Amino acid sequence: MPELTVTNLTKTFGDNAVLKGVSFTIKDGEFFTLLGPSGCGKSTTLNCIAGLEQPTGGSITVGSQAFVDTDKGVFLQPEERNLGMVFQSYALWPHMSVAKNLAMPLNIRKVPKDKQKTLISEALDKVGLADLGDRYPHQLSGGQQQRVALARALIYSPTMLLLDEPLSNLDAKLREQARAWLKRLQTDLGITTVFVTHDQDEALALSDRIAVMSGGNTLQVASPHEIYETPATPEVAAFVGRCNFFVGKVEQAVQNGYSVRIDCSGDVVEIHGDTALNPGQTVTLAIRPEKLEVLPAGSEPTGLNRLRTQVLTNSYVGSHYEYDVKLGNQVVQVESSRPGLTGQVCLVFKPEDALVYPELVELSDEQRDLLTVAP
Amino acid sequence: MSTITKPVASGQPDTPGSEGRPPKYRRPLGIGRDTAVHYAVLLGLAVFVLAPIIPTLLQSIRSEPLYEEGGVFTLDGYKSLFTDAGFGQVVVNTALFAGLTTVLTLVIAIPMAVVVVRTQLPGGRFIAMAMQWPFFISSLILGFGWILMYGPAGFISTEVRNVFGGVPWNLYSIPGMAITEAVALAPIAYVFCANALRQSDASLESAAQVCGAGPLRILGQVIIPMLRPPMVYSSILVFSMSVETLSVPLLYGQPVGIDVFSTFLYRNGLQSVDPDYSVLGAASVVILCVTISLVAVQAKLLKDAQRFVSVRGKATRPRKLDLGWLKWVSIVAIAFYVIFGALIPIVGLMFRSFTLIFTPLRNPFDFVTMKNYQTVFRFESYVQSIWNSLIVAGVGSVVISILAVLAVMVARRSTFKYARVVEYLALIPQSVPGIIIGIGFFWAFAYAPFGLGQVLPGTLAALIIAFGLRALPSAFGSIAPSMMQIGTELDNAARVAGADWIMTFFRILRVLITPAFAGAMVLTFVIMLKEYSPAVFLSSADNNVLGTTMLELWAQGSTGSVAALATIQIAITATFVALAGLLTKGKRNA
Repeated sequence: MPELTVTNLTKTFGDNAVLKGVSFTIKDGEFFTLLGPSGCGKSTTLNCIAGLEQPTGGSITVGSQAFVDTDKGVFLQPEERNLGMVFQSYALWPHMSVAKNLAMPLNIRKVPKDKQKTLISEALDKVGLADLGDRYPHQLSGGQQQRVALARALIYSPTMLLLDEPLSNLDAKLREQARAWLKRLQTDLGITTVFVTHDQDEALALSDRIAVMSGGNTLQVASPHEIYETPATPEVAAFVGRCNFFVGKVEQAVQNGYSVRIDCSGDVVEIHGDTALNPGQTVTLAIRPEKLEVLPAGSEPTGLNRLRTQVLTNSYVGSHYEYDVKLGNQVVQVESSRPGLTGQVCLVFKPEDALVYPELVELSDEQRDLLTVAP
Repeated sequence: MSTITKPVASGQPDTPGSEGRPPKYRRPLGIGRDTAVHYAVLLGLAVFVLAPIIPTLLQSIRSEPLYEEGGVFTLDGYKSLFTDAGFGQVVVNTALFAGLTTVLTLVIAIPMAVVVVRTQLPGGRFIAMAMQWPFFISSLILGFGWILMYGPAGFISTEVRNVFGGVPWNLYSIPGMAITEAVALAPIAYVFCANALRQSDASLESAAQVCGAGPLRILGQVIIPMLRPPMVYSSILVFSMSVETLSVPLLYGQPVGIDVFSTFLYRNGLQSVDPDYSVLGAASVVILCVTISLVAVQAKLLKDAQRFVSVRGKATRPRKLDLGWLKWVSIVAIAFYVIFGALIPIVGLMFRSFTLIFTPLRNPFDFVTMKNYQTVFRFESYVQSIWNSLIVAGVGSVVISILAVLAVMVARRSTFKYARVVEYLALIPQSVPGIIIGIGFFWAFAYAPFGLGQVLPGTLAALIIAFGLRALPSAFGSIAPSMMQIGTELDNAARVAGADWIMTFFRILRVLITPAFAGAMVLTFVIMLKEYSPAVFLSSADNNVLGTTMLELWAQGSTGSVAALATIQIAITATFVALAGLLTKGKRNA
């Protein structure tokens, strides 16, 4: 079973560079996700793999076969790649019944009629739609259409399955069920899958590995756990899950880490980490809201960083409470199980829970306005 | 490359079949059949579209006719065109005629669009439908009708003269030509403005209303300014159409010696005993330059205008303004336009076909007869011209619609390098006047390979080619939007599933664009049935069509027969459109 290797893929439309040198390798049987905000180039990357778009530069190979190699002038048409693809709109052919939809790729491959029949009924069985072969796409619900699209993409035993936001047209409840179902099916089949989504929860839940993309670049390619716990850049931290950022200056090295003075309040906190830093260097600390905790003012926990803050708002969201607290002139988001705190509180976090980046975080003006308050 | 280990099949070990492998497509010389078709469409269109244009360019700089040996390259054609051929007056006439037509068209169309779309008007929907009439009736027939009614000896002119002792208008003048042409072209400007008004955001008006603006202020300060893009666009379109039109100038201007571009070509090419082809070629090139640059400006403007189209969000039904007493004024104005501009001339022409004498001095009902039709059907060449028109329109509509589908597929639904070129090629004929297409093909046939040059002239095939070229842009324009409404993901899904571009078309898109194809066929049929101007250079005794026969009969003064043929043409169009409507409706219900 071959690996898919994407090397230095670029794509420009006129002056607009959509992909700026994307590289990654997808292992056999892996569920690989391209995650990123809209316009980051994830769909373009997928379309380049499918052959629906021709990259400006770079190469895509599967095993020893080159799909695209711009240096050698190789470009395989989509129909020559034997891939299965599910589109965001499902793209079921509206003038054909479900069975006909499934039969078309088999017809193209000249599969004998009797074998077609077995394959179709098995495929429909597999996606739990055994009785719906005679229906037309418009007679099916969204979830059923999505499963027919998947059956159609799998029926001819493609080398690889490409999924372009296939869950985004389902409503929220159904989406979670479909997600679990998709994961089971992929694990059963063991088919290498490339999945494109802008939904971080989907990406975390489904993937073996995730490539986080932004502005035509891959920022990080890693397992969901690594992406969430040790994001490579502040941008990844901001996009996957929520994150508070503090800009500060390194004071000095301490045991296992450094002490850092936070700009917004002037407090000094201790952080652990391997990154080599110099005193006086400007750094950004990133802390997830759930790694922060608010305690009633005056509590004195040990081994933690303590910051004096004030509660701005607290809201109950069912499974926990969310606090917005004021640290200096900055709003900090905290998830806590502790109800009903107001006024002065103590904000605490463990030194190992803060991530340090030796770079400044670029917040958009709108975000900055939302996260800044009068000190 | 191994196939996937666990296919959808469950259980038993799988023997690798033809599934699990991509389908094989042969690529002789490394060129797939997709690419072959793309290039074939590009080349075919290029030959088709440029065939009448290139010889025209060549002829304009040759001293002798193209089909004759000898001759040298020379600019004498241009020299004599601008010095002694009276071309200066032609330019002035054309500019006056086209300018006046454009102004009159806007004067008719804009208030009508505003009133019909944006105010409470009794019968508004009916008027909107009635504005489609020029689709069915050629401007040649309208011209006949106008002359019968408002010409110097026309029915209404005579009536007016009897009552007032004189007629305050003269149809055989540039203003007379412009009024008729404006009546014929107003619906085009109307459709542009009406569509723009329908699409514009109604909440803009509601906002003005909330601010306390009255209906007239809203009209003047919100609605009319929004109309600027369609006004500019449609005025250029109307201008270029009146630059190239032949019918009205031929009927009104020729008898009194007013020449415009098209009649200049007509006169120099057909009526002079020894036509100077290099002057004719030079004139054609000059006219082509004018019309092509007009269309280029128009295309540029339309592209820019689309940037300003307000975002189409929820479809809100705009609350229509109440104009009070003004609404009755507008009703009367619109009724005046429809009744006097279109209804009376057309109905009068049809009535004329059933009488022997048509003048208010005698009661025409005393002379009701079928004699005009008997005359028409007694002469085989007249009957033949009816059949010719039907064959040309029938065959042509199928061929051109297929060509248009191919062009749209390549231009809009392929990754072909020259997709844009294909689109431009398909749209260029829009800016080539019909009479120049006729002249151009007349010369082009001289160059046609395989002895086609001997065979084609004077045949229906020649007319199908020439009329088809005229109809191609409309067919393209009617299919392209429908094609764009079919999501590209449907194609992509087929491509990924293993179909190449050609198979994708045959298995997926062919079925989905069938309604659009039928629509394009109806459209091209009607256009080609009305068409005649390229035929004036290409027809012989054997391949006359309705239009050329009517012109011939008109020149002989056989008004009754002209009226009969015109009525037959209208009847054919109406029947065909009605049948097509029924058929497509039936399909949709099935």
